[in-house]
Amino acid sequence: MAVIDAPVAARTSREVNRQARTAWGLTTPALALMFLILLVPVVVAGVLSFTNYSLGNSSFDWVGFKNYDRLLSRSTYEKMFIATFTYVVVVVPVSVALGLGAALLVNSLGRIGDVYKTIYFLPVMATLLAMAIVWEFMLHPTIGVINQTLELSCGTFLEAIRFFGNGCADGFPLWLGDRDYAIWVLCFIGVWQGFGFNMVLYLAGLTGVHRELYHAAEMDGVKSAWERFRLVTWPALGPTTVFVVTISCIRAFQVFDTVEAFWPQGGGPNKSTYVMMFAIFEKGVQQNLIGIGSAITMLFLVFVMFLTLIQRWLVERKVHY
Amino acid sequence: MTRDIWKHLILVIGAIIVLAPFYMMLSYSFKSPGEIDRGTGGFFGRQEMMVDERCVQLRDPNRDEIAAAAPQYPGKSDREIRDAIMEEAAVACAMRPVVFNYTKAFIEAPLLRYLLNGVIVTVSIFVIQVLVALPAAYALAKLKFWGREAVFGLVLFCLLIPVHAIALPLYIILAKVGLTNTYAALVVPWTISVFGIFLMRQFFMTVPDDLIDAARMDGMTEFAIVWRVMLPTAVPALLAFAIFSIVAHWNDYFWPRIVVTGSRDLFTPPLGLREFKGDADGSFFGPMMATATIIVTPLIVAFLVAQRRFIEGITLTGMK
Repeated sequence: MAVIDAPVAARTSREVNRQARTAWGLTTPALALMFLILLVPVVVAGVLSFTNYSLGNSSFDWVGFKNYDRLLSRSTYEKMFIATFTYVVVVVPVSVALGLGAALLVNSLGRIGDVYKTIYFLPVMATLLAMAIVWEFMLHPTIGVINQTLELSCGTFLEAIRFFGNGCADGFPLWLGDRDYAIWVLCFIGVWQGFGFNMVLYLAGLTGVHRELYHAAEMDGVKSAWERFRLVTWPALGPTTVFVVTISCIRAFQVFDTVEAFWPQGGGPNKSTYVMMFAIFEKGVQQNLIGIGSAITMLFLVFVMFLTLIQRWLVERKVHY
Repeated sequence: MTRDIWKHLILVIGAIIVLAPFYMMLSYSFKSPGEIDRGTGGFFGRQEMMVDERCVQLRDPNRDEIAAAAPQYPGKSDREIRDAIMEEAAVACAMRPVVFNYTKAFIEAPLLRYLLNGVIVTVSIFVIQVLVALPAAYALAKLKFWGREAVFGLVLFCLLIPVHAIALPLYIILAKVGLTNTYAALVVPWTISVFGIFLMRQFFMTVPDDLIDAARMDGMTEFAIVWRVMLPTAVPALLAFAIFSIVAHWNDYFWPRIVVTGSRDLFTPPLGLREFKGDADGSFFGPMMATATIIVTPLIVAFLVAQRRFIEGITLTGMK
């Protein structure tokens, strides 16, 4: 037997070798690009964040943790963190909640609901920069349609409300130019753009909820719609929620287009909308302060990776809360 | 039934807020500057003839032109001749606001060039992504080789790195190599789609081994199997991935903003619109909105036509 098997074994091992060689041949381009485009830049940013390098300079000095020190001590960067986290903390829950709400309503309406689905998805498809410019027009303090509409309230009962009363007396807010409103307007547009995406993900999640679960709940005496949602729908949507929250967080962290369109210089009134992506762009690219830009990049990567790892951990534990 | 009415009411209010900017964009792109300033004219504007000031200025005759035109206006002073010519110019330059806005959009900036650049960039990104990702995904899904787990682990790790986040070091590297302000700079960072590899691998896992064995029996090389057997089976997944990729890169503003600084020749549509905004005075709101409409329209129309596929494509990221 062994005599007959030997050549077969040799042939299979040759076969295995050949397959391994082809496999490496097929993966090499992807591997090379992964290293060059994704991993090398992370290392480069890590190294440069300890230097005072500028493009065009032939040499640079090692400055240790000075760049990180600055990030944590200067008030500009404090504003950067406040703006970024305010944006994330507002946009993520609101767009997830609206996405879920819209999905539940659309789903309960059957085929007619599809019209709303189409409409709510439009902002996801549209070029955000173009839509930001439209919003800017609409929010224009004098000729913008929003303040023109608000002015219609003047002279009516609405003036009794403080917001309208003050607006009619002293003019309605400047919106994008007003440091008290700027970040909230930015958040609003973030929600406007993103909740349709969450809705669609939830709609996909809802198709996976088994009908029997509702029947079973009814058998057990669950009558009200709220109880049905709390006991059946919400737990079944657990994995979808984990995913929707993570992807919303990552997208919210990366907000840039609207900030650059509204405030090309300096990140808004009193730096109230100076988000991290804009800071990387302004410091690193425009002002050529690559050390500090790289330090922000590294912090940014830490946040994003941390979020994704939490998500993977939750998914692996198959959390149904 | 009454419950449904409440649902519709809530959803309609939502729809109005979502659609408002689209409505305003279209409406502004139809209106004359005056109507935009005053906020009058309804959706389409009144479409009264308006005079294009810049066009009239261009026809303002100089001395030689007045002298040349003199025989046509016998017995008139130079001043009267100029007035007559300007009057003719005003007539010739009169047009409907909607025509004015949309022609200006194409004339004031090389919008066609921008659109072409957008197509070139998005299409090359997608093609290269597929050329790189498909073989790797096939190897990871169907070939046994030493180190496969490590490669797949690397893919999973790289999924953690958003390309936008490492834009600064990428920009520095490209600047060092001297590639900024080229098509290559716009395309290169996106050539590797780790997500694409992951997605195609998951898809190939579901393809039966018999299909591949049969192809091997027929004497096909592994390379041929990737393109002649696996590619055709992967068409639905590839279509979804194409939509995902094209929507992301047609709309991308951050990366082009970083690597294209000088020449308008390389501007993608969002960059072109941004520049338009930079030097626009009040009277150019109309043409700018026309530009915005032109840039947004292709994807919106495609979406409305093939809605299901688009939603599938965009929500691909939802696959685990």
